[in-house]
Amino acid sequence: MGHVGRDMTKSVLIAEKEANLRLSLRYLMERQGYRVQEAEDGADTAQRVHDQVPDLVLIGVDMENRSGFDLCQSFRSDPSCRDMKIIFITSKARTVERDKGMALGADAYVTKPFANADLMATVRTVLED
Amino acid sequence: MRIRRRVLNAFLIAAVGVVAIVGGLIWHFSQLAAASEAGDLQIRIQMYGAVGLVALLALFAILWSGLDRALIVPLRELARSLRTALHANPDHRIAPQVVVELAELAGAVEEAVDALIKGREHLDETVRQETQLHTAQKEQLEAVLRDLYEGVIICNLNHQILLYNHRALELLHVSGELGLGRSLFQFTNRQPFLHALERLNNRLLDGRGKVRGLTAPFVASTGSGDVSLQCKMTLLTDATSQPTSYVITFEDQTMELAELGRRDHLLHQATDGMRKPLANLRAAAEILSDDPPQDQKTRDAFTRVVRDESHNLSAAMEELSAEFRDIITGHWPMTDIYSANLLNAAVRRLREEEGIEAIMTGVPHWFHGDSYTLLELLYFLTHAVQKISGVSAFDLEALAGDGVVYVDIMWTGSGVTETHLQGWLDQRLDEALGGITVRGVLDRHRTDLWSSKDDVGRARIRLPLTAGLTEGDAVRDRLPPRPEFYDFALLNPDTRHEDLGARPLKSLTYVVFDTETTGLNPSGGDEMISIAGVRVVNGRILTGESFSHLIHPGRKIPETSIRFHGITDDMVENQPPASVVVREFHRFVDDAVLVAHNAAFDMKFLKLKEQATGVVFDNPVLDTLLLSVFLHDHIESHSLDAIAERFGVTVDAETRHTALGDSLVTASLFLKMIRLLDANGVTTLDQARGAAEKMVEVRKLQEQF
Repeated sequence: MGHVGRDMTKSVLIAEKEANLRLSLRYLMERQGYRVQEAEDGADTAQRVHDQVPDLVLIGVDMENRSGFDLCQSFRSDPSCRDMKIIFITSKARTVERDKGMALGADAYVTKPFANADLMATVRTVLED
Repeated sequence: MRIRRRVLNAFLIAAVGVVAIVGGLIWHFSQLAAASEAGDLQIRIQMYGAVGLVALLALFAILWSGLDRALIVPLRELARSLRTALHANPDHRIAPQVVVELAELAGAVEEAVDALIKGREHLDETVRQETQLHTAQKEQLEAVLRDLYEGVIICNLNHQILLYNHRALELLHVSGELGLGRSLFQFTNRQPFLHALERLNNRLLDGRGKVRGLTAPFVASTGSGDVSLQCKMTLLTDATSQPTSYVITFEDQTMELAELGRRDHLLHQATDGMRKPLANLRAAAEILSDDPPQDQKTRDAFTRVVRDESHNLSAAMEELSAEFRDIITGHWPMTDIYSANLLNAAVRRLREEEGIEAIMTGVPHWFHGDSYTLLELLYFLTHAVQKISGVSAFDLEALAGDGVVYVDIMWTGSGVTETHLQGWLDQRLDEALGGITVRGVLDRHRTDLWSSKDDVGRARIRLPLTAGLTEGDAVRDRLPPRPEFYDFALLNPDTRHEDLGARPLKSLTYVVFDTETTGLNPSGGDEMISIAGVRVVNGRILTGESFSHLIHPGRKIPETSIRFHGITDDMVENQPPASVVVREFHRFVDDAVLVAHNAAFDMKFLKLKEQATGVVFDNPVLDTLLLSVFLHDHIESHSLDAIAERFGVTVDAETRHTALGDSLVTASLFLKMIRLLDANGVTTLDQARGAAEKMVEVRKLQEQF
């Protein structure tokens, strides 16, 4: 269990339009001991990732100034983000969007509304992978 | 009195008169000759001779006038009456005195006239009745058409309007009349109709029309492009199955009332149904935030309410979106499309209009969609990729997933960025579609598209579509497995191909083929009735480079075999014999490596024809059945279906059990096998043939237990 100490310091960027959801997400992540940053639109997200690549980005699909799909694709073609994990959190529930997200290189796809426990399990799985 | 008697009497009178006059003169002269002198005699003879002549003239004059009155005049009268009756007045009757005069003849003529007139009256009556019937039927049809909610137009194959209903006018927004004989395309856009007609014609030609019917739904628009029409075209054929005309029924697709009803209901459910849990949630949440209860127990109760009600809301949401999905999948007038037809059309169009070399690859699949808008979309996307990347060689392929069929446009180079794709969404496709955009087509198909790139530098645009409801081919039964042939000699093990043998399996050119036969006994008189193959190059199935031909077997096709391959005596009636087709197939194969499932069976048929055709198939041969035994020797079943299931390859029922369909399936399994063989250390052609040879023994042994 030597990794636990390092896991605790993993960084998560929460890129989500809804401030109310960001509040809950930050709370949940910090309770797990992750370092948390927030971004509220696409351009902001790209800038923050550019400044410092987090271990994980939780990313909403329908953000303003660059969609989540767009961001995901460009992160995946950027070698410096190779180890960064991406989880989509989205209200687009159709299979085709999930397929698209995964095809563009996301590690997981979570549909709103979700159970907090399920989301945290997904985050843990993705980060431990 | 009869005419004959009258004429006879006239001649009798004349004869008696002549005899009396001439006799009287002779007697008188002989008296004179005895009593008179010579001079006096001469004068008397001259005098009596003259009297005799006058008497004879008088006699003939009487005779003429008698005949004229009794015969000629009534005859002329008869003729005149006849003309009057025929041409002027059918009720005109021959004058009574004429009837008396001409008796028999007049009677007969009268009967003839009566019969003639009755016949004519009967004809007139029949024509009148028929016309009445036709008019009634036409009125009935018009009444039916008038009452239809849908617009109906019937056109001949030159697209001239033969019949239409009032609703058609309304839907096309035409005031006045369409005008019979005018071209349909003065009122609608052209391409969707031509496309639908072509598809139905193809269906008719290749016999699928019998199974799937001759109706195709599609989407078109009015000439101005303002109104989207949801159309259905039915091809009409004559007794010999030749197309004669087509019927189009159509509705304004914005008017789908039933659909709207369901949507209303859902909306109602969404708004009213959510008020309850929301009310509970809000009341509790406001208490917790504005006026938190002091005691722990009460606070916990409110917290529980917040938690439970938000769960309820989530559940209601899931239920709603599931129902909404149901609605939208049944939304568009879509039809099952065979990817080969669509991709082929796209390939042709790209080549003809843009000089873009696209190749159709892979095994075709059925999916649900609107063929014409998808064709436009594929054309647009490929063209757009070419414009931004300069790439001019593409592969188009359909790939089956779980409940979806992915239509992929593939090329070598980098992918298209999401930014580019987003920019394309609002571009308009062909103006014929009423200005529908890329996004419009995607929305219509409830899908999206994306671009990705793999490790070996191949990029693709992927368009997921709903998989077709594999209607299958109810006509055909599941094929009993063919007897496995273990005659390895049939697989040309001795032909040496130094240049090929050491080459990697991945890099070779193959022709994967299959035959349909009258039975399972090649040496006992069974014959090939079709042969098909598809070329595989560099790990790609070149769907467009295929060979498929029916063969006249020179014998009857046993009824028992027809239910498996669906090929009847009629279908092969005008087909060339095996000698011709096999020679063509030989040319198609060229120097490719032959691949077939249970290859020895098919090779046996080909070898038996070597003498008749003069061509020899000495190409190296690989058998997917033997390779499968090599790869999975612990498994019993190595039928095509079993292997497909093992490899997770979905096969449309309709594709199977035609020579070409089975070739395509075998080809896609073979490509997967090459990868597995590679992982098992079998990388070259020689190694693969060696592995297969060993399996012949294994399989023979397995068979004994």
